[in-house]
Amino acid sequence: MVKAIRGTLVKCDASIKAMLVDIDSKNNNEYIIEELDEEHILVKETKINQLKARLNEASCCMMKTHLKEPESSDSDS
Amino acid sequence: MSASSSIQALEYLQGLPLQTHRKLYEAPSTVLAVFRCMLPHLAKSIVMAMLYMPSALPAADLEAWFKPSARREREQALSILDRLHILTSKREDDRSLSYSLSQGFQRSLRQAIEGSGTHRTFGVPATKAERREEKLGIDFLDQHARTQWEGILFFMVSGAAGFAPGSVKMDVGPGTKQLLHKGDLVRTVHETPKITKEGFTFVLQETNAQVWNLLIVYLRMGHELGMSETEVLSFLFMLGSLELGQDYSTSTLSDTQLQMLDDLSAMGIVYRSSKDSRTFYPTRLATTLTSDSGALPGTDISTNEKTDSKAQNKGFIIVETNYRLYAYTNSLIQIAILSLFTKLQHRFPNLVSGKLTKESVHRAVQSGITSAQIISYLTTYAHPQMQKSNPPLPPTVMDQIRLWEYEGERVEVTTGYLMREFGSEVEYRDVQGYAEALGVLVWKNDAERCFFVSHVEQISAYLKKKKEGRGGR
Repeated sequence: MVKAIRGTLVKCDASIKAMLVDIDSKNNNEYIIEELDEEHILVKETKINQLKARLNEASCCMMKTHLKEPESSDSDS
Repeated sequence: MSASSSIQALEYLQGLPLQTHRKLYEAPSTVLAVFRCMLPHLAKSIVMAMLYMPSALPAADLEAWFKPSARREREQALSILDRLHILTSKREDDRSLSYSLSQGFQRSLRQAIEGSGTHRTFGVPATKAERREEKLGIDFLDQHARTQWEGILFFMVSGAAGFAPGSVKMDVGPGTKQLLHKGDLVRTVHETPKITKEGFTFVLQETNAQVWNLLIVYLRMGHELGMSETEVLSFLFMLGSLELGQDYSTSTLSDTQLQMLDDLSAMGIVYRSSKDSRTFYPTRLATTLTSDSGALPGTDISTNEKTDSKAQNKGFIIVETNYRLYAYTNSLIQIAILSLFTKLQHRFPNLVSGKLTKESVHRAVQSGITSAQIISYLTTYAHPQMQKSNPPLPPTVMDQIRLWEYEGERVEVTTGYLMREFGSEVEYRDVQGYAEALGVLVWKNDAERCFFVSHVEQISAYLKKKKEGRGGR
């Protein structure tokens, strides 16, 4: 019998996927329903915005560890 | 253009139940509007061909109209007609499938085309006695429509653009404000309206799409307030068929529709000289609802306008390869919209200048504007000098905006359904092929025999039909 599962399909790079899986495992697997392949995962529809926010937090932290790139100059006036 | 603007309306219509559709199709003006602006061309051809058919059309005959290679197009057209309950399919005694137009739709469309019947759904022009005053000019109506509509847009962007509340005159009624909140286009934070993701998308749309967008929110809200969906919708479709510059009598309207008149005049979609006036004028926002012509109360209207209007500013932005941006405008809405994704630096009487920076684009992306929207906005309003080159924007700038977006937003999401556990390879192939033909297939994995679709209703209907067909054999 064919089954239909409601959810949100997330398409991303393999690197981002690794981060998402990591976030998921640190939060009692409350986001991800299933990992479909290298670049796709199925996420609970209600949790997707929360997951996105967590991803932003995580990537911000990572950015800070790198050297901050020079800001676009505002020297003109 | 018209396709994008009526798409939300189409989606809303598709979601309505059969009974509502039946009632809607009793009004010829509604049927004509649905036919004119909701249906794709192929579906129109099918409807036209079947309009005067005396009996049902066998499915085999219908299929003979299409080349075998056009299965996808055929399925799409038929599925829209089916979802709108325009086309009904029936199994004949010998198990063959046959199609016919639904009765009400057929009758009303015939009436609309022939001008027969006494339905009065195309509006009743006001009599001299009802009018009591001079007829208003088109200029005045356009002016009214634009003031009201720009007021709404400005109300939405003013918070984000950093204007203090009350610093600029905004003529937005409490009803409209409530509507914007209900549609989640703005949220009030600390007394200031704050624009949301959806709001951004809304502001950057063309006017016709904006009007539909807001009207659909209105429809949903009206439903909660106990207004009849059918009456609201058929009134909207009727407005679309009215003539600009003509005044119409309110005597044939129901209570719900009179109530709507008040709300719509606050948005500038209709005009009434006073609350208890017995006539109303549709504005350009209303009359272009169901047509292809531009609804922008600016493009063709303000050729004779001298105030700060959109049309006059058509093509006013210059972007240089060093990300500097100059906009020849003094319209506060324009400036407010620009400030959503630009770092504005100077303002002169007829010019603002600024710069597209990483931070400004990031900020925009985070609040939900996509790079595509920014680029299309800048391209649409590029200065005539820039329009001469192709593409109008410097390619480096476009690429950089996309890259900046990619930094901020790295996942692509689609809501829908994952289909799996198919009995056989053949079944999987068949259903997946159907999903692809419908255009709802998002992702598939042949090895695992599963795929992802954005809409499931028709797939399940298809599966059910298949099962029945097999069971009967």
